[in-house]
Amino acid sequence: MIALTKTLKYVCIGRITLRNQLAYVVDFLVRSLFLLLILYIFLQLWQTTFAGEGAASIAGYSFRQLMWYLIVTESMTLACPSLCTRLEEEVKSGDVAFKLVRPVNFIAFHYVEYMSEVAVRFCVNVILGGMLGLLVLGPPDDMTGFLWLPLTALGGFTLNFMLNMVVALSAFWVEETRGLEFVYNKFLFTVGGMLMPIELFPESLQRIVRWLPLQGIVYTPAKTAVAFEAVRLAGMLMAQAGWIVIFACVALLVYRRGVKKLNVNGG
Amino acid sequence: MLMEDKSLQSAPNVTVISEYAMPGKYKRLLLFVFACWKANLLGAMEFRLSFVLTAGMMLINNVVWIVFWGLYFRRFPVVNGWELTDVMMLWAVSAGGFGLMATLFGNSMRVASLIAGGQLDVYLAQPKPVLLHVLISRMSVSAIGDVAFALLVYVFFGNHSLSGLLKFGLALVIAALLFIFFTLIVNCLAFWLGNTEGLSFQLFNALLTFTTYPTGIFRGLGKLILYTVVPAGFISYLPIGLLRHLEPVFLLGAVGVTALLTAGGIALFYTGLRRYASGNRMGLRS
Repeated sequence: MIALTKTLKYVCIGRITLRNQLAYVVDFLVRSLFLLLILYIFLQLWQTTFAGEGAASIAGYSFRQLMWYLIVTESMTLACPSLCTRLEEEVKSGDVAFKLVRPVNFIAFHYVEYMSEVAVRFCVNVILGGMLGLLVLGPPDDMTGFLWLPLTALGGFTLNFMLNMVVALSAFWVEETRGLEFVYNKFLFTVGGMLMPIELFPESLQRIVRWLPLQGIVYTPAKTAVAFEAVRLAGMLMAQAGWIVIFACVALLVYRRGVKKLNVNGG
Repeated sequence: MLMEDKSLQSAPNVTVISEYAMPGKYKRLLLFVFACWKANLLGAMEFRLSFVLTAGMMLINNVVWIVFWGLYFRRFPVVNGWELTDVMMLWAVSAGGFGLMATLFGNSMRVASLIAGGQLDVYLAQPKPVLLHVLISRMSVSAIGDVAFALLVYVFFGNHSLSGLLKFGLALVIAALLFIFFTLIVNCLAFWLGNTEGLSFQLFNALLTFTTYPTGIFRGLGKLILYTVVPAGFISYLPIGLLRHLEPVFLLGAVGVTALLTAGGIALFYTGLRRYASGNRMGLRS
């Protein structure tokens, strides 16, 4: 009986959530259209670039590979919710006090919440982007790399979460963190390889970028998917895992220091 | 009316509380606009560090895009006639136009949520033009960084002759007006469709995104959309059609579309306002 009541309670919560989402269903679909818009712009940009160059490939990427690369990077980037906004609001409103007293690890709680949201958004984006890709470009030449996408994307999202968490936790000191997040995102867009593969950068910049954690977020999954090289895979995955461990430790350290400084208003 | 006013003025202990439609109306309106902008700026400056950080971050944000285009043009020096300088000026015009809109008319992007939330009541009760009052009642601090960025790019990449300066000024005015009234039009949909915050934002976002890419990369249907449904082409072609060489046909088109959107936006807002239902919210402007 108790089990049935509990089940019914969750069914009701699920139904209310679903009704909330359905009330804004048009809004929800419209928001996803930005992905198609930006992919359309890139399609035009790289079509013109390839036509201007008159070459079948640029920096080792064919036009089709480059576009599938961008579909992966854009789908991943647009799937990430703003962790800074969430933490900033929690600190400003005082809600963070309720999170801190719960018998759960603060970072782990946010990680699970973040990844659940990412999973839904990424699936929607991949379906939309994939449909556009299949319709306009046709299927990728080699599907082997795409089989590794769930694993590399999981690593990429986790690394992005850790880096974002370090930035977001600064809300414990300064409250306003969205500006920092903005700049972080723009670095991810450029030197992180979201807007174009790292191979298109000048040699000197490529050497620097390869030592940065940002390449593990969208470059590694996209590169692995569209230009799969079995010999480089292990190295890329190791680098991704290494950065995750390092930034998980940094996030934990920042959290431990920040939580002592935190001064909760309201609540 | 004049007689009434005279009698009011001559009567002792009677204060004229409204001088609507009297000489000096436009001067007072201008003073009101400046007073609003000043109050917004002072409000933002209250938290000075936050103000500098927010505006500075936006400036850095735009610089990162400049880095992207710098990397791109290093690899591909000319794309369909567009060079690095043109794209830099495209960013100056686009960021500057957007910055002016969000700084001086910062509520443009929030009109849909004001309508849906019944928050227009407070403006309707005040003796000032409703639309103007709504638009100038908010200032985006980060957008000040966009304006600063636009001026910096102009200093580094623009034509510094008098004609160059005037043309850049005109480009900024056209871009700002197109941003304001396109945004207003898409936000006014809320009068008829209810809460269109998401839809309005996406349409505005489409305009903003398209204005930051050279028109030279678009062909066919894409180009047609740029000059019709989402009139971003009238902003993004300004670096070529106005700043590099003056193309009279393009300039006339841009000015015409700007005038059309301005008139259309104002008319649409006041038409929609007749359908506006109050939220019965108690509101007080601080």
